[in-house]
Amino acid sequence: MDERLYDLIFICRPATPEEEVDKLVSTLEHAAAERSAKVEKVEKWGARKMAYRVHRHREGYYVLLVLRGSHGDVIHELERRLKVNDAVIKYMTVRLDEDLKRQKHLAQRRERKAARRPRGGRSHGHAPAPAGGGGEQQPAAAQQ
Amino acid sequence: MADDTQKDTQSQAHKANDARPAEPAPAAPAAAPPPSDAPRAPEGRPPEGRPRDDRPHGPRGEVGRGGEGRGGEGRGPREGGREGGKRGRRGFYRKKKVCRFCVDRVDFIDYKKPEQLTQFIQERGKIVPRRITGTCSRHQRWLAEAIKRARNIALLPFGGAR
Repeated sequence: MDERLYDLIFICRPATPEEEVDKLVSTLEHAAAERSAKVEKVEKWGARKMAYRVHRHREGYYVLLVLRGSHGDVIHELERRLKVNDAVIKYMTVRLDEDLKRQKHLAQRRERKAARRPRGGRSHGHAPAPAGGGGEQQPAAAQQ
Repeated sequence: MADDTQKDTQSQAHKANDARPAEPAPAAPAAAPPPSDAPRAPEGRPPEGRPRDDRPHGPRGEVGRGGEGRGGEGRGPREGGREGGKRGRRGFYRKKKVCRFCVDRVDFIDYKKPEQLTQFIQERGKIVPRRITGTCSRHQRWLAEAIKRARNIALLPFGGAR
């Protein structure tokens, strides 16, 4: 099956004690594990200023989870839990695997292009060299 | 010839407004500016047909055309037109804008880094159009998506909040 990668960001009230956030994270991890998804990374950004007021708060405690799973059900369950929790004022899930796939594809293509350039790019104007041997000869000829 | 046609159009316009027949004196200066985009023709001159006929064949027009042709040979047609066409009167140059993401070979614009995205939003949170930043269309698309994601999670403003 295709694996999916998600970013799950949620914002807690700034007054939430740290232990409570940790507890919430661990329950989320359990819930994810039950549905055969893995939490790859937990990043606590801490309290930071939000760009606009949410529930009359100007600051929020940001937590980022990176999830890997094959089903969307996990997200459903995790979002339900976040919705129920009083400390959470905002959350968002973004599916990233498709973007990352595209990124990888582009990087690969660029590498291939870069690998081709020393041979093809130098001998501009000549017939495209069919093999590596042709490309090597031409710079030598240019030196003479 | 040209004078007659001018008068005709003027009289038609005046019929709509006034019952009076066309008055050549006040209407003529008003009609003169649109065809004359040249500073060479003084405005006080009565609008006879002659100066207007001269203008299209004037030396300025030829220079403009020649400049375009020259630019077109060396470079892309759009650039050449820009430089060649405007150089004669006002010497302004436009620096070619380059997509910043292409320069850095960016394949993915992360919405979790609002510091990088703030360069591409205006004070009130609008996404800066690409004709201003010079971002290429592909990167602008990714950028817009990233900005919108960041807005959703309160990393960037939707606007208004000031």
